[in-house]
Amino acid sequence: MPHATMPSPGFQALILCGPGVSLNTFTSNPKEFPKALLPIANRPMVWYPLEWCYRMGITNIKLVTPAESAPALEAALSQNPHLTSLPAPRPDVLAPPELTQTTGTGDIFRFPSVRAAITGDFVLIPCDLVCELDGSSLLETWLIHEAGLGGASGGLLDFGVTKFGMGGEKSGRRGGLAVWYPTKGSETGVKNEETDFIATTPLPAPIVTPPRGSLRSDIAKLVYAIPTDTLKDITDEHKSFHIRHRLLRKYGRVKMQTTHRDAHIYFFPYWVLDMLKANESFDSVSEDVLGWWAKAGWQEGLGDKLGLREVFEGTPSTPEGDIPDALVSSGVLEGEVDVGSMSSTWTSTAQSRPQRPSDVFASRVPSLITPTITVNDPLTIPPILAYVQQPSPSAPLIRRVDTAAALLVTSLHLAKLPSLDSVDSRTTASPFAHASKIAYPDGISRPSRVETADSLLAENVTVGAKANIKECVIGANCAIGISARLTRCLLMEGAVVGDGAQLTGCVLGRRCKVEGGEGGDGERTKLVDCEVQEGNVVPWGTEAKNEKFMVFEGLEDDAEMEDDGYAAEAVDDSLGVEEGIEDNIRVQMHV
Amino acid sequence: MAQSQTLQNGASSRSETQQADTATQETPTRSNGIKQQVNSKSGHRDAPSRDDSATNTEPKLSGAELKKKQKAEKAARRAQAKAGEPEAGPGGGNATLNAQGQGEGPKKSKQSQQEQRAQGKPGQDSRIQHKSSGSTASSAPRPVALRRRPSQSGGASKEPKKSDKEVGLFRHLYGQPRRYSIEGASKEVHSAVLALGLQMSSYVVCGSNARCVAMLLAFKSAILAYTTPPSTSLARHLTSHYLSPQIEYLKSCRPISISMGNAIRWLKDYIIKIDPSVPDSEAKTSICSTIDTFIRERITVADTAIAATASSKIRDGDVVLTYAKSSIVQQTLLTAHAAGTRFRVIVVDSKPLFEGKNLVRHLAHSGLNVTYSLVSAAAHAVKDATKVFLGAHAMMSNGRLYSRVGTAIVAMLAHERDIPVIVCCESLKFTDRVALDSIVTNEVAPPDELLLSAEPAMAPGQSSQAGRASIARWKDVPNLQLLNVLYDVTPAEYIKMVVTEYGSLPPSSVPVVHRISTEKDVRV
Repeated sequence: MPHATMPSPGFQALILCGPGVSLNTFTSNPKEFPKALLPIANRPMVWYPLEWCYRMGITNIKLVTPAESAPALEAALSQNPHLTSLPAPRPDVLAPPELTQTTGTGDIFRFPSVRAAITGDFVLIPCDLVCELDGSSLLETWLIHEAGLGGASGGLLDFGVTKFGMGGEKSGRRGGLAVWYPTKGSETGVKNEETDFIATTPLPAPIVTPPRGSLRSDIAKLVYAIPTDTLKDITDEHKSFHIRHRLLRKYGRVKMQTTHRDAHIYFFPYWVLDMLKANESFDSVSEDVLGWWAKAGWQEGLGDKLGLREVFEGTPSTPEGDIPDALVSSGVLEGEVDVGSMSSTWTSTAQSRPQRPSDVFASRVPSLITPTITVNDPLTIPPILAYVQQPSPSAPLIRRVDTAAALLVTSLHLAKLPSLDSVDSRTTASPFAHASKIAYPDGISRPSRVETADSLLAENVTVGAKANIKECVIGANCAIGISARLTRCLLMEGAVVGDGAQLTGCVLGRRCKVEGGEGGDGERTKLVDCEVQEGNVVPWGTEAKNEKFMVFEGLEDDAEMEDDGYAAEAVDDSLGVEEGIEDNIRVQMHV
Repeated sequence: MAQSQTLQNGASSRSETQQADTATQETPTRSNGIKQQVNSKSGHRDAPSRDDSATNTEPKLSGAELKKKQKAEKAARRAQAKAGEPEAGPGGGNATLNAQGQGEGPKKSKQSQQEQRAQGKPGQDSRIQHKSSGSTASSAPRPVALRRRPSQSGGASKEPKKSDKEVGLFRHLYGQPRRYSIEGASKEVHSAVLALGLQMSSYVVCGSNARCVAMLLAFKSAILAYTTPPSTSLARHLTSHYLSPQIEYLKSCRPISISMGNAIRWLKDYIIKIDPSVPDSEAKTSICSTIDTFIRERITVADTAIAATASSKIRDGDVVLTYAKSSIVQQTLLTAHAAGTRFRVIVVDSKPLFEGKNLVRHLAHSGLNVTYSLVSAAAHAVKDATKVFLGAHAMMSNGRLYSRVGTAIVAMLAHERDIPVIVCCESLKFTDRVALDSIVTNEVAPPDELLLSAEPAMAPGQSSQAGRASIARWKDVPNLQLLNVLYDVTPAEYIKMVVTEYGSLPPSSVPVVHRISTEKDVRV
């Protein structure tokens, strides 16, 4: 994996390894096989965010996971060849005992162990993120627009908490950056993908035209963010969507978009941790933190309600006494210089504040009696920037893989990337390219047909004679039977497809088996758009469409549900049912 | 010599570019830019020597014969170079690429560039030889050379195009392309410095004082994060191994200002003199507190002193003209306003940074009476003025003022009308260097910054022939060069007074003050 030398950008990364509710066919056993280890194009899911962090030079990485999944994750980090091939240092697994599979993302940041682990600005990403977009370009955007001037930073240094400096939060810098990607208009789109409603307002024009390759043209300031579902609820309830005049008064141009989705990539300054602490009701980072923060930027007084004044002006986290005297005398905490007002491309604001009364009073009013404005002084809230990716076929892939459909589509998309051995130089290859399309060419019997351009076969995969494989991702140690036909399928490691089976658009869990049989008697196995759970066995002669084959333990009484008649019925039902119960679940006895 | 040579290049590359347009073109990438730079430089260095050799051999053979012979030689050399390339070429190419941190450039273009490099050099040589061997024979062989080159390289040779886009008179100033990315920066570089570098290259932090203060503050954070490796001492290791990469990085983002250079010299000097027996933490604390003292003494307090002196020069009814934005002129005007002086301000501003707008906005907010005009209307604006206040990037030892481009014309217009020109400048910005013109020392900024449109480079592939699009695609237009210099030099005779923290003096006293102030540093 080529990694250019990158300096440490002063961020640490937190990767949230959640339960994967929408992938329940494959994540039913979080103890042994957590969602973070699900394979996307034959690599564990968590490899993608990890690689993304290393690519942008972040090496201080924490994986936050519920305690029950921690051992499996630890084991994978030290054994999985993909994860061990990542550059050193290894990420730390952080498993707070309070964290369960259902804890809200906001709560995570109130656990003492997590708070202690965060010592400065941080990037928050989910484990199901596949992001081709170079993180460093996002980071550079943050550094230019939001990094404190003159080294102003927040966070814990070895001697305590740094105060919010003149060049930082006080001058309205050191805000956040989040990423939204389009759910429509690209080939990797998934139907019915969650979307978010965002309202953004353009930033002031750049001082000079940004250099080529800069993300600047797609960067805007976020002023409103809620999930589209919530927006629907609101519009259903009120028959309209209300917006405060204040927003339009402050920002003349507001752009609202409903087809983008929050990629859950957040570049957060350290003070967000204090904001989360001050607001116990913040349950989710994506909904509450972002939503309130965006609103606080224009809704007067909201920042005070959220306790941001205390966050910015009080001493957070540690008491005053901790700061050693040497530091005070060294001048670290005094004699601040306002670099912003010195800069010739800035309109100085800090100095204009005490002089504002001159707008109100005639100049003959002596300056002594002008009121000192302290209480009504509006709070400067550092902005949260939004990188809203524009849909285009050549745009780098950003996607969250949290449904089986997304898992399949993304895997197949990644399988299309040219492999390293087919490209003459490593420099042009995508960061996600595999070393070769077929890791074990000897395992493929002839005659058979494997479309290497859009398929990916891992180590030790055996393919029977006359098999036909098109647009598939096949995990390690899988066995494909004679005359099997696989189209647009994803097979996790150890899956077995018997002779003559026909699979289209299926996702097969680990070590599951689709039985094969003789093709002569008219019986056949044909699965279309199905999901088969880990270790499940699909008997010969099953024809199914859009079903999930899952195992429920301890339901002995319902053995007859395996009946073919039920299956047929289920197929009929599935056609008419709306999205809520879009899939039928075929229940099978655990043998 | 230099000028005539550029003319030659311009003339010969004209046909070159036309022909390059017909061939398939790669979209220019940054790595290409670096490559071309290297190429053009090496080409140049070669040029004069070849020139000489050509003239030496000339008497023996006629021009046409000579050309034939050399062409044959060149063909042989080229064939050799091509054969030898797989061994020698990639190694060299990779080294330069990695050194520039542009290792991700597409392999294809890399290869073709290597070819171009191998071929381009002789090509360029031949052109120069044509010129040197007299104009009578030059027309005949050139088409031959042009026809042959594309068939061999199979692609557009971009190297002469790039040099075509550099304005000849300022060619020595182009140097490295500006850095906009943290990729490839040294691992030593602290995050605060990383941020500062990008802020400087995007002009978020701009202006001599702001950059100097921001740099010192960022260095403070960097030094606090520093630990001396075992078996060495802080005084020895910190400057050479830790601060140097940071400085190099900042330089690659934008050439450092005179004040930054002075501050760096002072800081290095201070660190080197720290007793190696002093423990790390104590040494770091002392460095940080000294940096703070330095900022206060040399900049903030100095600014206050200068503003107090300079504002006393403003009388009731004055019309003060200033150019662009200088933090110290702003402070002077605000001090005068706060003192109750009634005066009017005219701010003259220029493209592309429009720094004056920020000054105008702030002054207007503060209740001053301000007029704003662009430098194109400077002659008109100067008519009303009674005093001109200018900020400085640096004061040269010959008393000349080195400041934002356009300052000189304002000073000249004021001088013509006998309006006093007063420069406000901290002694930190004084340098022992001299400047006679703004060509030898200057900073050439990326020419794309002159373009108005918000997305100039975004549409290189678009074929729209609208007027604005064609200027946006200026790189494809032959014979069109854009020059974006940032500074100019104002002659000392236009300047009536320099206000420093040491007092108000004529520009001829600059070297004296410079000596006093640097001596004081040494004493500290």
